[in-house]
Amino acid sequence: MHAKSTRREFLWQSAVATGGLLLPAQLSWAAPSETKMVITKWTGPSPQSPTEFAKIATQLTEQAVAALGGMSRFVKRGDVVWIKPNIGWDRTPELGANTNPDVVATLVRLCLDAGAKVVKVGDNPCDLPQKAYASSGIADAARKAGAQVVFLDRDRFREMDIKGERVKTIPVYPEIVESDVVINVPIAKHHVLATATLCMKNYMGVIENRRVFHQDIPTCLADITRFMRPSLCLLDCTRVMLAHGPKGGNIEDVAVRLTLAAGTDIVALDAFGAEMLGRKPSDIGSIVKGHQVGLGTMDYRSLQPKEITLS
Amino acid sequence: MKRRLPFRRWIRRVVQIAFLLAFVGLILATRPVPGETPSWWLKAYFLADPLILVMTVLAAHAVPLLALFSLVTVLLTLILGRVFCGWICPLGTVHALTGWALDKVQKPAKRRDTFSPWQKAKYYILGGALVMALVGGHWITIFDPLVLLYRTVTTSLLPAAQWGIETGANAVYQADPRIGGFKLTSVTEPAYQYLRNHVFVLPKQAFLGTGLILAFFIAIVAANAYRRRFWCRYVCPLGALLGLLAKRPLLRRKVTSESCNECGLCTTACHGASASGLGTGWKPSECFVCLNCSTTCPRDACEFTFQPVIWRKEPAVQPVGLTRRGVLWAAAGGLVGFAFLRATPQGRGSVYHPRLIRPPGSRPEPDFLARCTACGMCMKVCPTGGLQPAITEAGLEGLFTPHLVPIIGYCDYTCTACGHVCPTEAIRPLTEEEKHQIKIGLAAFDVTRCIPYVYGRNCVVCEEHCPIPEKAIYCVETEVELRDGKKRRIKLPKVDPEKCIGCGVCEYVCPLDDAPGIRVITTNETRHDRHQALLPEVEGEEELPY
Repeated sequence: MHAKSTRREFLWQSAVATGGLLLPAQLSWAAPSETKMVITKWTGPSPQSPTEFAKIATQLTEQAVAALGGMSRFVKRGDVVWIKPNIGWDRTPELGANTNPDVVATLVRLCLDAGAKVVKVGDNPCDLPQKAYASSGIADAARKAGAQVVFLDRDRFREMDIKGERVKTIPVYPEIVESDVVINVPIAKHHVLATATLCMKNYMGVIENRRVFHQDIPTCLADITRFMRPSLCLLDCTRVMLAHGPKGGNIEDVAVRLTLAAGTDIVALDAFGAEMLGRKPSDIGSIVKGHQVGLGTMDYRSLQPKEITLS
Repeated sequence: MKRRLPFRRWIRRVVQIAFLLAFVGLILATRPVPGETPSWWLKAYFLADPLILVMTVLAAHAVPLLALFSLVTVLLTLILGRVFCGWICPLGTVHALTGWALDKVQKPAKRRDTFSPWQKAKYYILGGALVMALVGGHWITIFDPLVLLYRTVTTSLLPAAQWGIETGANAVYQADPRIGGFKLTSVTEPAYQYLRNHVFVLPKQAFLGTGLILAFFIAIVAANAYRRRFWCRYVCPLGALLGLLAKRPLLRRKVTSESCNECGLCTTACHGASASGLGTGWKPSECFVCLNCSTTCPRDACEFTFQPVIWRKEPAVQPVGLTRRGVLWAAAGGLVGFAFLRATPQGRGSVYHPRLIRPPGSRPEPDFLARCTACGMCMKVCPTGGLQPAITEAGLEGLFTPHLVPIIGYCDYTCTACGHVCPTEAIRPLTEEEKHQIKIGLAAFDVTRCIPYVYGRNCVVCEEHCPIPEKAIYCVETEVELRDGKKRRIKLPKVDPEKCIGCGVCEYVCPLDDAPGIRVITTNETRHDRHQALLPEVEGEEELPY
């Protein structure tokens, strides 16, 4: 049962929030705020322990956000922030089915440092939420970093007018869209139907009844992405799953890339992610569709992404 | 000189409530915690239940090792009589509470609770059940009082309470009422979230047959209006078993005949109706040792004495008066009853119900039924809520036994909780690796329903959720012709019978929520050697040789 949302109210709030974000960005003369995309990459020796891996993931995240102009470009003092990782499955971090927990924890810390009032972390997992939150390591890591870990309540989704090309209304989680900032932080991995699951597809975790999306993934993803109005997105490519996605389960399907991309152009990030998975962006329907309908550019190189190598 | 005896009654009441709360507490504590194996003490009550022990030993010729705890209960009963019924049994406490409440509205003072010959019925029921168990029937245990209460609380009372809490909390959350500067949600939200994260197993939990289970419970509770503790006196098979053990307890009631003026007050408050006439002729088999008689007696003529001499004659006790003829009839009844329970095609093992998907580790059906008490612990601990009481699927003999209903919930790939809570090992405790080797069924596409097959669109949500790392569901790219003659390439999903373990997540996630396009059936389930329809594939063989 979903109460009809007050779309007008929501739009108004979003407009204010977006305005709030853009205005200072316009006023400031610091160059970094212009940066649309950053790629950070670890080129040092490959990590020998989980602790080393965590350290690298943390650095990659910090550097990426710093190069975009710092978290304060996106998060203002007193903001309510929702971090939306991919916590789809009851799988451990090594299997590359969920976002790296240290990437998420670092974002939480950066948001709080930027003055966020509260940082919420949550997703609508495919597997049992309690198990997926625990085995992904995200619940623990986020909590330790000071976030509020939220389980989505099925009764609290609200049918919202998303006015898409194919999806007209769908139950969306109000607490997410009512946040001042939503940070989209998925992992790049293979998907049996969509070929790849990246930033756009990560928005499937803010809705209910997403199973119908599979009948036309590109258009449905473009619809929900337009509604969600992405601001800051980070694509976790520290580990990428190359086959048997999205759930995986074989360590052989996972490649360690120690790379992270961040930016404001969701289509560009997805195009980069496609290449990380060894695919052409033009092979992936949602990227092509996103490009066509103006959600971003699939030619991510045209944005002259800032590349940072760490070692 | 009157002693201050009402104090004693309160001791009993406190003990009773404590055991009842502990029972409910253990039910609430029986919930899946990621990464943890449920502890054995969650089933403590069942392990202390001698009826379950006796029936399982007779029917399955097996001794669930932990169930030897029930020998403590046996020893207790031999010494003190049916204190289990009067002080410990949580269902007994529910009946006692009901009687206590009814005393407020009915007129108890005029009542004389003296022995009725119908109280022998429970012994005959037990006798029939024992014979049934000898030939392999375990059926009576579904009427064990602990089992009955556990099942009722788990599948009926808790889900109803959860519905109320969830609906209420959501209503408050949506309306978000304020009283001055005070937001009601600042109280309801933390409380609700605590319950959701630490008490409820899963949101919106519900069970099939919940109404039937509740109706039976209401019936036996309502029977207290006819006779106090009707269930305990006339029906309870565990009570009967303990009654047999309590024929000559060491703790006995003694009436000082010089002081007794046969007023009969002692019978007005008697829980068990354990005496005949005006309080004389005490039958220890019927006595719950509630001590109300000695508490009530104004002349202190009635007292429980404790003399550790076995088989002593004094104070004299009366038998309940079972007859040889009655016992023989009961035995015959048990035998005939079992013949009827098994006189079904499924009971004879000639057919298998396609939807009787037993939890992983379940024994072959006859062995399973010879152990399963239908208590519902596995259903309580199931993290997806997919384990449900069987109503018709397993026949009358398998009434309320667990089976997986994938459209409600599936068998979680890494969970082994059900086997670890099962008190009688009807479901064997498995490690995760063992579980992955066990097939509980096989998925099959209904190509008259499945979206890609019928409507020529992509879907494969089932493939996506398949937990087998190598995927038991795979896709074949196929060209389909559309209405306008155009061609479209779609992914048609198929099932690999070698890899499928029948967990049912595919059926659960199918977008068709009414009649899913993929269903799990019991074909090829590991537990039945003869239910193997599909030959294993031979490595590297592409064409079938003829």
